[in-house]
Amino acid sequence: MSGDRFETMVSAHHGEIYRYLQRVLGRPDDADDLSQETFLRAYRAYRSLPKDANVRAWLFSIATNLTKNHFRSESRRRVAYGEVRASAPAAVGPAPEAELISRETGALVEGIVQQLPLKQRLAFTQRKIHGLDYEAIGQSLGCSAETARAHVFQAVRKIRQGLDGHGLLSEGLER
Amino acid sequence: MSDKPAGCLQIADDLLAAALGEAAPGAAHRVEQHLATCASCRREYQGYRAVDGAVTALRDEPAPAERLARSLERLETRLADLRKRLLVYRIVPSPLGHILIARSELGITLVEYLDRGTGPRASRLSHEPGVELTEDGGELEAVAHELLEYLGGRRKRLEWPLDLRLARSDFQRTVLQATAAIPYGAVIPYAGIAQEVGKAAATRAVAQALRWNPLPIVIPCHRVIGSSGDLTGYAGHRIGLKQRLLSLEGVPTAKHAGAVAIAPREMYALYPGEREYCLPTCPSFETHRPAPLTRFASREDAEAVGLLPCTMCRPDLHPISH
Repeated sequence: MSGDRFETMVSAHHGEIYRYLQRVLGRPDDADDLSQETFLRAYRAYRSLPKDANVRAWLFSIATNLTKNHFRSESRRRVAYGEVRASAPAAVGPAPEAELISRETGALVEGIVQQLPLKQRLAFTQRKIHGLDYEAIGQSLGCSAETARAHVFQAVRKIRQGLDGHGLLSEGLER
Repeated sequence: MSDKPAGCLQIADDLLAAALGEAAPGAAHRVEQHLATCASCRREYQGYRAVDGAVTALRDEPAPAERLARSLERLETRLADLRKRLLVYRIVPSPLGHILIARSELGITLVEYLDRGTGPRASRLSHEPGVELTEDGGELEAVAHELLEYLGGRRKRLEWPLDLRLARSDFQRTVLQATAAIPYGAVIPYAGIAQEVGKAAATRAVAQALRWNPLPIVIPCHRVIGSSGDLTGYAGHRIGLKQRLLSLEGVPTAKHAGAVAIAPREMYALYPGEREYCLPTCPSFETHRPAPLTRFASREDAEAVGLLPCTMCRPDLHPISH
C-alpha cells in the first residue's frame, strides 16, 4: 500500500474510529488521542497487512487494543468512570415531547453502556453501533465469535433492565 | 435460580437474537410460536426491540464535525512527521555477513554491514536522531532477493530508488551521486571522483565522504581505489570485503607487499572525457596529460556503457588475455 493509499484509508475510516472511541471511552479528548494513536500504529504496520485483509476490522482491532490498554491503568479508569457520569449527553433546547422521551432514552442507553464491563461495552458498540460481525469483534477482543456474541447479548440484557428500571420500556410498550 | 418456566429459559437466547434480527430462520419460527402463548416473554421481546430502536437512533446521530476536523488535522500533522522518521528495515544473512537494509517512503536509505550483532540494535540507525525503525513485513523481500542475487554473481545491477537522507553534507551527497554512476566491472581512483565533482584537489575529502557511505554495494564505493591501485579503506578496515565485491565483477586483484591492489595491466583503460576505451599500453596515453583513468575488467563491461574500442590500440583486435 502506498502513502496515498494510506491517506485514503485515513479519510475513509478516521471519523468512524473516532466515534467508536468516543463511545467506549466517554471522553472526547481521549477519543482524539487514541484515534491518533490508532492510525499512527496502523501506519507503522500497514505494509505487512495482507492485501485481502479487512482494513476496517483491523483498525477497530487496533483501537480496541488501545482502549483496553488505556483502561488497564487503575487511575485512568477512575477518571474515566467519573467523567462518564458527568458527560452523559443532555437534551438541549425546547423539543417536542416524543423527541424528549427519545433523547432521554438515548442518553440513558449511553449512560448504561458506559457502565458496562469493558468487554461488553466494546463488543456491544462494535456490533450494534458500527455493525461489525462477531468474527471481527472476537478478533479485536481476543476471544471467539461465540464469546463476542455472548458479550453483546449480556450488554443488551443489561440495557433492557436499566431502561426498565427507569420505567421507559413499560411506558413505551403501553403506548 | 430463575423462577422462569423451563420453556422460557430454553428459548431466552433465541428470543434475544430474534429481537435483534440475528436469529436463524428455524429459531425465529420457534420464538414466534412461543411468543404467541407467553405474555411474559412477549414483554421481554418488546423490551429488546425497544432497546434496538434506541440504539439505532444513537447510530444515526451526526458526527461531531468540528472536533472530528480538528482531530483529523492533528493526525495529518503527526503522520507527516512519522513519515519522515519511519524507516522499515530487514536484516539479510548474506555471504558477506548480516546486512541491514532500510528504506523510507522515498527509497533505500541504508545498506549496512552489521558487525556488532545480528539485530537492529547493532545498526547505526539505533543511534540516529529523528529515526524510528520498524521491521519489514515483506516490502523489502524483493530488494533482499536482488541483493543476494548480486552477491551471488547472478545480477549486475541494483536499480533501487535511493534516499540519501543519511548523507552528512551536500558535498557527500554529490560524491555519492558521482560514485553511483561508476559502471559494473570498473574502478576509478578517488582523484577521479574528485575531478568528477569539480573539486580536483579534494581527494582526501572524497575518501572521507565515501568512508561514511550509507549505501555500500548499491552506491559502489568499492569501485573507488587509491591512485596506485591499492584497495584502500572499506567499511572501516575491511579490505577483504572490497576485494570480494571487485572479484565478483571480474576485477583482477593481487597482494603486493602486504597491500591488495588491482592489476592495471590486466584491465582496459578509459581517459577522462573520452568515448573510446584502450589497452593499458595504448600509445595515446603518452600524448595525454596524466589523469586518473577508469579501468574496466572486460570489454563487455566497457561496451555495456556505450564505449567503443580505441581505433589506435584496437582492444577489439588484441584483447587482453587473462
